[in-house]
Amino acid sequence: MDFFNSNSMNLLNGAIGAAVLRQQVISNNIANVDTPNFKRSDVLFEDLLQNQMQSQSFAGFHPDSRHFVFSSGNAPLQSKIVVDQQSVMNNNKNNVDIDREMTTLAQNQLRYNVMIEQMNNDLKNFRIAIEGR
Amino acid sequence: MNISNGFDISASALTAQRLRMDIIASNIANANTTRGTYVNGKWIPYQRKLVEMQAIEPSGFANALQSAVNKQAGGGVEISQVINDPTPFKRVYDPTNPDAGADGYVLMPNVDMVKEMADMISATRSYEANVTALNATKSMISKALEIGK
Repeated sequence: MDFFNSNSMNLLNGAIGAAVLRQQVISNNIANVDTPNFKRSDVLFEDLLQNQMQSQSFAGFHPDSRHFVFSSGNAPLQSKIVVDQQSVMNNNKNNVDIDREMTTLAQNQLRYNVMIEQMNNDLKNFRIAIEGR
Repeated sequence: MNISNGFDISASALTAQRLRMDIIASNIANANTTRGTYVNGKWIPYQRKLVEMQAIEPSGFANALQSAVNKQAGGGVEISQVINDPTPFKRVYDPTNPDAGADGYVLMPNVDMVKEMADMISATRSYEANVTALNATKSMISKALEIGK
C-alpha cells in the first residue's frame, strides 16, 4: 500500500490547497472592500467534489487488459476561482459584503484546522504502523 | 502556490488604509486653512484630498500562468493616486479675516467634517477587518508547521 499516494491523503492535500487558496481569495476580497468596480471572487472546491462523488464514474470499454483505461473517476480534483459578476452591493459597483467575507474567513479557518487535524491523525497511525506500538 | 501571498495581500490593504487615514487627518487638520496653495500671487484655500483605490493585478509569467488555470487569488489593493476634490469652496462672510475679498467674503476649504468622520470610521473598520484576515492567515500557516509533529 502506498501511504503517501493513498486516496484520502490526496484528497486532504487538495482540500488543504483549496483552503489556502480560499484564504488568499478572501484576503483579497477584504483588501478591496473600498475599491470601486471591484468584483469579489470565490473558490470552487466542495461543489466540484460533491459533483465528482455523485456522478457515476464511467470508464471506457477495454476488451484487452493491456489497453489504456479511460475513466473520469481518478482525475485529480482542482480548485477553481470564479469571479462573482452578478451582484452589486455598493453604489460604486463593488460587491464585497464584509460580513459575508468575515464569516467565510472564520468558516474556512475552522475547516482548514479540521483537515490539518485529520492529516496529523493519519500520520500518527502511519507512525504506529512503523514503530509497532 | 505561494503561501505568503496572503500576507502580501493583507499588508497592501493595511498600507492603503493607513494612507487613506493620513489623508483624512490632513483634511480635518486643514478644515479652516484659507492659505493652502499660492497661485499667481494669490492664496487659494486648502482643497480636500481624496484617495483613489485600485486592485493590484499581479504581473509576471507565474501569475499569468496561475490566472490561466483560474488559480490567481489577486494581488491586493493600492492607492493609485491622491486627487483633489473638485467641489467649490465655501463662501463665508467674515470681513475681519485678512484673506477676505473686497465684499467681505472669504473662501473656506471644501472640507465637510461629517464626510471626513464617516470616511474615518470606514477606514478604521476596513483596517481592523484586514488585521483579522492577516491573523487568520498567520494562524493557518503556523498550524501547517505542526503537521506530523
